[in-house]
Amino acid sequence: MPQLRRSDWYDIARDMNWNLRYVSHEQAFPPEIVGPMGDTEPATWWKWDEPYKLSYREYVYNQVDKDAGVAAVGAAIARSNLFDQLDEGWKGAIKAHFGAVTVSEGQSTLAESRMGRFGLAAAWRNMALYGALDEMRHVQIQLKVAHSLLEKDPQFDWAHKAYHTGNWAIIAAMSHNDELFLGSDVISTAIQLTFTFETGFTNLQFIGMAADAMELGDVEFGALISSIQTDEARHAQQGEPTLKLLLETGQKDLAQRLIDVSFWRAWHLFATLTGPSLDYWTPLEHRAMSFKEFMEEWIIRQFMDQLEDLGLEKPWYWDQFLDELDWYHHSEHAGIWYFRNTVWWNPDAGVSDSEREWLEAKYPGWTEKFGTLWDTIGESVRADKVDATFGKTLPILCNTCHLPVFKIPGTTSDCEPRQSVHEERTYTFCSEPCQWIFDQSPQRYVGTKTLIDRLTMGDIQPPTIEGILEYMGITPDIAGDDAAKYRWATERQPQLAAGAAA
Amino acid sequence: MSNAETTRSARKAPKTWSQLSAAGVRRKPSEYEVVTHNLIYHMDKSPTPFELAASAPLNAWYLRYREGSTFRVDDWNGFRDPHRLTYHSYVSQQNQREIHLDAIVDRFEAGGDRPPLSADWVAVLERVYLTSRYSSHVLQMAAMYLAQLSPSSYVANCAEFQAGDEMRRIQRSAYRAKSLSLQFGEQLADTQATRRIWEDDEAWQPLRKVLEELLIAYDLGEAFAALNLVVKPLHDAFFINVLGVVAQAEDDEELALMLDDFRLDSDRNNDWSKALVAYAVSQRPENRDVLAGWVEKWRPQTEAAIEAASAMLADRWPADRGDMGELVAETYEALLSDCGLLPTQAV
Repeated sequence: MPQLRRSDWYDIARDMNWNLRYVSHEQAFPPEIVGPMGDTEPATWWKWDEPYKLSYREYVYNQVDKDAGVAAVGAAIARSNLFDQLDEGWKGAIKAHFGAVTVSEGQSTLAESRMGRFGLAAAWRNMALYGALDEMRHVQIQLKVAHSLLEKDPQFDWAHKAYHTGNWAIIAAMSHNDELFLGSDVISTAIQLTFTFETGFTNLQFIGMAADAMELGDVEFGALISSIQTDEARHAQQGEPTLKLLLETGQKDLAQRLIDVSFWRAWHLFATLTGPSLDYWTPLEHRAMSFKEFMEEWIIRQFMDQLEDLGLEKPWYWDQFLDELDWYHHSEHAGIWYFRNTVWWNPDAGVSDSEREWLEAKYPGWTEKFGTLWDTIGESVRADKVDATFGKTLPILCNTCHLPVFKIPGTTSDCEPRQSVHEERTYTFCSEPCQWIFDQSPQRYVGTKTLIDRLTMGDIQPPTIEGILEYMGITPDIAGDDAAKYRWATERQPQLAAGAAA
Repeated sequence: MSNAETTRSARKAPKTWSQLSAAGVRRKPSEYEVVTHNLIYHMDKSPTPFELAASAPLNAWYLRYREGSTFRVDDWNGFRDPHRLTYHSYVSQQNQREIHLDAIVDRFEAGGDRPPLSADWVAVLERVYLTSRYSSHVLQMAAMYLAQLSPSSYVANCAEFQAGDEMRRIQRSAYRAKSLSLQFGEQLADTQATRRIWEDDEAWQPLRKVLEELLIAYDLGEAFAALNLVVKPLHDAFFINVLGVVAQAEDDEELALMLDDFRLDSDRNNDWSKALVAYAVSQRPENRDVLAGWVEKWRPQTEAAIEAASAMLADRWPADRGDMGELVAETYEALLSDCGLLPTQAV
């Protein structure tokens, strides 16, 4: 082994900053791409200091090793029939994950590369380069696994196809990603992607889902996303030094606003994806913790501690967030199930008697708020009226988060959608924070359209159910249906079940 | 299940991504294609790449510099990296190459067969090789720019790996700087001192000017052509090929062996550049003139800059190796010729 340690030479390899002479700083680091530097001199940013040091040599060595671990698990699984034995609800959760997450990681590659070019310190640019390579790894290893499952189930095609469609869930994910990183300047990206999203929220999906996966025996998925999380934990550390510099240069208000915007956007997206995955689609006996418990551990405790240690505050809408923690993802879950033929996985209703007991224990008051809804649906199923349990009218979609405004009466005191007018167009929002996000920076959002806007404004032709399904990329072979073939309903009163599951 | 049903379900099981089938790939796709195909879904997306206002800065930037570039083809996803690199194959092969470099370092650190370096050669190393960390870092930045503006993931990944290759050689140079400093003086590991050479040494300034200007070549076609068809090939022809010959002549075998290894990266990057030119021209013949135009814009000043930098090695160049400038010119002309971009190849 070479005699010098990394620490002997590392600073020489990262202090590559210099004073531009032949082009101006504004030309080489345009404010619209770099973001809000305030009144700082460029050299102020040279002290950007990553907490985690790594050499290229160590990087390739470690990553080869990690890939070998994931590949070994995959090879063992391929020889077994493990996948076939997995619960259908869980399969729905991993298909939802692959569709929403995989190609999105490829977009993080681009956002990291943008920081690798426009980051204001060479040390930052170097860390972003590892981040870009990491994200390329994540898209590739997940595509590889999903592709291997295609022959078992065509819904896995959506691991690759989803972002090429106008599916409502994907428009919501795109809008979130574009806000936080893909359509953002690099300073905002460092805060929103690597701090809020990766230091905070991805723990939910990657640690939460990995815990459940291991518990129920989906070793391949568990190994896959655990391995991804080890990379995330490293490159997520670009957020903290950037945040520290924003604070040091007197831009606390800006930093707080970036946190407030991105936290709310991430909350709604993760509540819609991870919330039902953990609380409804994972088989009851294998649930490690409830979604709310994960939120309390990873977001309310750990992430907020970190935020406060840095001198920032809880977002201004904290009370509303805590209120939503008890109902929002349950509503989204009901909405997804109701419109299950518009998604690429089979959502599990997850409301058998024993599951309801668990939900009531984890979310006291669940039965009162949501039980009646599912009772009614169950009765329709048992009365052989499954058709009546599919959404027929289109839901209102929020112009900020693009997620359905499924507010079930009695679940929240705040049931009325909110509206703002910009440039003579009315925009609708699901909540005060979503309205605030739009209104505090309307020039960033005006003209954007939800799926429903696209329908009413003539972008979707023909404006029929068939036209919308085609726009959303939904074909009959992948359109979702109840994961349990309605057994949760029919088995409650089996004497009425005849024909209900047909 | 009846036989008819078995047959139907067997026929229905998709062989690969619907996007890859739709692209007309009829054979079984390679793993490279399965994990690389068509991931940049927002290229040419209507009405804007990103779900933000059309005037939002990043939408405006991509519409102007990516979608709006004169370097365009109908289907960027038909391009293939000739090395078919995936993340896994890249880190695996680079890990092997890093082991090789460690072995070189080990051999010279063991000390037995290292002839003593002269102080004046170390001064040359400081001025040329150690300072090239800065020029290589600009190349790294420019490759990252190209990656994030790429119209296809097949192109973006090549640019990502290229950026990684630049970081690789920078870190080996940093190691050598520290190592030399222990024997020949602390200033060799002093980044302020090296930065002063980069910022003030007259021989470096024309190249520094080209590199700083490269950073603001924002149009997709210009970014690719300026970086991969002009500045990097000429930079590497000097800082790998010429420096390698001189290192050999100075008995600095450690550096010569390192540079031999970096040449493999540089050659691989030339390979994808050539393939991208060939693909773009095959899809839309006008691309030849588009690229030739950018090459014509960047070539004279870059060649002049390399000539100015050559002064730093002029008195070290072994007389029996012909003309130093010829080596750079021949190496570069060979690339342009392979790309069909020499002025004499105009159709």
